[in-house]
Amino acid sequence: MSVPPEEDIGIGCEPDPNRVEVGMGELRAAKYPDYLMTPALGSCVGVAVYDRLLRQGALAHIMLPRPSDTVMNGAESRFASIAVDRLVEELVARGSLRRRLVAKIAGGAAMFASDASFSAIGKRNAEEVRERLALARVPLIAEDVGGSHARTVELHLDSGEFVVRSYLYGIKRL
Amino acid sequence: MRLEDLSELQLDALREVGNIGAGHAATALSQLLGRPIDVAQPALEIVPLVEVPAVFGGPERLVAAVYSRLLGEVEGGILLMASRGDALDLVDLMHDRPRGTTVSFGHAEETSVTHVFAILQAAYLASIGRLADLEVLPAEPAFALDMAGAILQVATTEVGMFASSAALVRTRLSDEETSVGMGLFFLPEPRSLEVILGKLGMV
Repeated sequence: MSVPPEEDIGIGCEPDPNRVEVGMGELRAAKYPDYLMTPALGSCVGVAVYDRLLRQGALAHIMLPRPSDTVMNGAESRFASIAVDRLVEELVARGSLRRRLVAKIAGGAAMFASDASFSAIGKRNAEEVRERLALARVPLIAEDVGGSHARTVELHLDSGEFVVRSYLYGIKRL
Repeated sequence: MRLEDLSELQLDALREVGNIGAGHAATALSQLLGRPIDVAQPALEIVPLVEVPAVFGGPERLVAAVYSRLLGEVEGGILLMASRGDALDLVDLMHDRPRGTTVSFGHAEETSVTHVFAILQAAYLASIGRLADLEVLPAEPAFALDMAGAILQVATTEVGMFASSAALVRTRLSDEETSVGMGLFFLPEPRSLEVILGKLGMV
């Protein structure tokens, strides 16, 4: 496997005051000129919900499909079944109309593809996210899901562009 | 029983297991390569899984890793990880070439690193197995070269459904010319950790 150097895909670049970083299992909302990013999605899924009119959006870094998948305590926003509704609520509370919202997702990989037993979690994460978006009636307009590579994502709030960076494929713009 | 709840005495028991594992690993690698390979006496720390990427320079940093699920009487997983640079140096060390000869990862390099990492994992597991009188076997090792944070999600999702910390063993593998740093994560499920400590007489 040949991978480009870290700087070629914009990793390890300068700190940016407009960047709002979403940690593993977290969920945050922001408005232009800020933008949202979350690093190193493996089996996790980055879920972005965007309102073009108000140029605002929210991003979640979900880890597991449902609370029944773990016995450990932690942020509820790490679960797909909870985070999707939270993303919508967060934006509605900031003045967005539900019918304006659209979603883009990335992640859900199986980092160690050769073992089938743990390749399932990324796939299940993505499936749960799709199901919850459908229930919340938020159209899923773009996705970059699966495979066995890591992704870092950014949601740009002027355009709604969802930038997916990976060592394997470089930069994709959804 | 969770790793973060271990007493100092129990940690010492695990450290001892690690030291013996390092000895096994050194013997195995020296035999394999036909020249002396030193495996440094490891330092064992209990680290919250969320803080682990920082140990490798941040979640997006490129690392080479080998993960094996555990089979037998201990459930969980074992993960060995090195920065991309250290992993390339490891390939040179394996082939007795000057450090810096290998500059990129191809299939052959991936195979070499997987091979050495699997031997190291087996050596540590053998020492747990012997000291605790348990059958611990690694499943087939799986390789990845990618972002540290994403690779560690194997731990936070698969094993982390039950655990929030990992036992991190930092060690160095050296011959006369080259020294390679790496981190070994022992990720037992809580029930299995209890079994190990029980067998070591440490509950």
